[in-house]
Amino acid sequence: MELAIESVSKSFPGVQALDGVSLDLKAGEIHALMGENGAGKSTLIKIVTGLLRPDSGRVLLNGRPVAFGSPRDALRKGVSAVHQERNLIPRFSVGENILLERLPVRNGLVDYGAVEREARRYLDLLDPGIDARAEVRSLSVAQMQIVEIAKALSLETKILLLDEPTASITEHETAALFKVLRKLREDGVAIVFVSHKLEEVFAIAERVTVLRDGRNVARGTLLSEMTRQTLVSLMIGRAERVAEIGERRIDPARVVLEARGLSTERGHRDISFALHHGEILGLYGLVGAGRSELAHAILGAERISAGALLITGRPVRIRDVHDAARRFRMGYVSEDRKQEGLILMHSITRNVAITIWRRLANAVGLINPRSETRAVAPFIARLDVRTPSLGQIVGNLSGGNQQKVSIAKWLAAESQILIIDEPTVGIDIKTKTYLHELIGEIAREGASILLISSDMAEMITLADRILVMHGFRLVGEVVNDHRYETTSKAIMGCVHAVADFEPAAAG
Amino acid sequence: MSWFRRLLLVEWSGLAAAIVLGAIALSFIAPNFLTEFNIYVMLRSLSVGLLVAFAQMITLGVGQMNIAVGALGGLTAIIFGATMELYGFPIALAVPVALGIGALGGLINGLLTVRTGVNAFIITLATASAFTGVDFGITGSIPFYKMPAALVAFGDRHLSAIPYLLVAPLIVAMGLGVFFSRTAPGRQLLAFGGNPHAAELSGISRERVVVSAHVLSGLLAGAAAVLAVAQLGSAQPTIGADWLLLSFAAPIIGGAALTGGHISVLGTMFAVLLLGLIQNGMVLAKVDPYWVQFVLGALILAAVGLNRWRAVESGAA
Repeated sequence: MELAIESVSKSFPGVQALDGVSLDLKAGEIHALMGENGAGKSTLIKIVTGLLRPDSGRVLLNGRPVAFGSPRDALRKGVSAVHQERNLIPRFSVGENILLERLPVRNGLVDYGAVEREARRYLDLLDPGIDARAEVRSLSVAQMQIVEIAKALSLETKILLLDEPTASITEHETAALFKVLRKLREDGVAIVFVSHKLEEVFAIAERVTVLRDGRNVARGTLLSEMTRQTLVSLMIGRAERVAEIGERRIDPARVVLEARGLSTERGHRDISFALHHGEILGLYGLVGAGRSELAHAILGAERISAGALLITGRPVRIRDVHDAARRFRMGYVSEDRKQEGLILMHSITRNVAITIWRRLANAVGLINPRSETRAVAPFIARLDVRTPSLGQIVGNLSGGNQQKVSIAKWLAAESQILIIDEPTVGIDIKTKTYLHELIGEIAREGASILLISSDMAEMITLADRILVMHGFRLVGEVVNDHRYETTSKAIMGCVHAVADFEPAAAG
Repeated sequence: MSWFRRLLLVEWSGLAAAIVLGAIALSFIAPNFLTEFNIYVMLRSLSVGLLVAFAQMITLGVGQMNIAVGALGGLTAIIFGATMELYGFPIALAVPVALGIGALGGLINGLLTVRTGVNAFIITLATASAFTGVDFGITGSIPFYKMPAALVAFGDRHLSAIPYLLVAPLIVAMGLGVFFSRTAPGRQLLAFGGNPHAAELSGISRERVVVSAHVLSGLLAGAAAVLAVAQLGSAQPTIGADWLLLSFAAPIIGGAALTGGHISVLGTMFAVLLLGLIQNGMVLAKVDPYWVQFVLGALILAAVGLNRWRAVESGAA
């Protein structure tokens, strides 16, 4: 089956999301769809699957115009999508989720044996390790992604749209996914593949369509005729720039935050490290290594069962994040900005000022809206948040701008210790470079940063030292020489040393 | 039509229009509608309703519910009556004691919610039953009739069509307006309602926010009970029995998000006014009171529909 999108336009209040965008997809090809955050990729996918209606333009299936009223309509015609947002029911089993709207029935009752057998067929293609009877909420994020893809496969899909399917899964799982995609391609399925990862795109796709600010800047160009540089410059409108982190003065005598033999109820054992004034200390590990949980424990959101936490040399007991922020000037930029970082229904001003309301209040406890705006505006300007106004609802901003708001509130709070968790997941190249420079700048101004990341390149760009975490333990420390080959090898050496030793604890 | 659409996007616009149109229609249908006495009667019965609606609005703002508003109101009312009739408390002492009982009930709700981690809906469903039990246990369902003359007079007095009773909810409304838009605790309460997890990780204390929302809600339920006693002239154990539906209807019609994080003081006030107008109009037009229930239900559905449309139009959905 072939899909053609012909000069589709779509606007939202204040934003022209798509402006005459076209894309043609042939049977049996993998077509990359690329662009910076906010370029319109997700909007385009939602239009094809009937979640949104275009203002103008049309979508053709095998040359005939179609207008799906809903995703269900699209599914019936063999068009399915895996969106960035999870669309699974947490308390249902994997099998039920995969076969949700057509559960096999025997004698009027759901036949769970058949559910399992049927689901198994598709799961085996992707990851035989996932139990079809397990509840979805017990799975890792990566496994949920696999389940979503299995669900799409089970629908006899002819046209499959994948919106950043690899954003939160490991390299190993990505390799497995690619094997499946190649097999589907052989079977004549047409696939649209959205990703920010250039290596992946070059590895899997034949042609690429690039969007910038809602317009086509490339339409079905052969990737074999492109270089990495040309593709990046198409996306960002100019040549790629390397983040300039600059020199910083780290004071090895001033230990700001120290953990001594820390164990937690979540399973961390004997964690010891020291964070110095002005330092960016990396905490590297794969998804599930226990990094975010350690951050939560430091902030008082997880129970510490043994060991000590010291701030500027004094042992402290932190009750909760409120306590951490108020007494110790700590801040936490969450990995999951939508769930944990922002109040999407509130304005930019409110989301930033949330950390400083008490400070803004006058003697009788009143906050002057003008002083609130005045306190917030410099950070929004400094972080270059693209928005028509400070009153804009944060839910309407692009991912990169949301992340900036999420960081801005801790800058406003003048945090001295900042824990930044996966700051650039799902964020485009231009903003990523910008955020890296910003993190360097914050450290240069004297804040101390604990940077959690599973992005090796990001670690090597930013961190001074890198702690390696695996299975809720620290398994090594690497001094970063900012050369990718040597440092990445040293880090992976730490991981493999333990992983080989105790394979059961892997993941 | 664009100015009309824009007007519809303002939360309380539909309500204001409905109130004006309703009042005009009523003044034609029922000639005694626009009399000073009728307006006084209507506003007097609204006074209690406004406080009840505000009590629920606060818990909705923090993303929770207070099923116990009415039960706590009933309990407060009879304790208020008992302190004056049985123990001879002066009004100046009995009122703060009654408000304290309301706040205490809220504190119990809040602490139970925070400490157990159980949904406030369940907690207040349980405490509602408990409060009502204590209420009827104490009184054996016999009201206190001997209320101080000054209190009863306060419940009756009026300045042309404006009852003295209305002063209390108006002061509370202004206070709440300032609280939610201009103070740190008020902002934090709404931030928590908008996304509890993010608010907590931004350094907002969950315990403090949830407990203070329930205390405020209880305090206002207590205040509503005091007004109800003044209005009725006796402390009935059944006070509060019919508050629950109104308590949700008004804030929701007024534009509050059921999921928390957004409320409207002005919208809630307009909603109470509209509901009062409908009730009053139906009485004047001699409509069977059971139909008032039906109209209330239909109105809630219409309001929720309008809110949904507004969310979709402004791209927040």
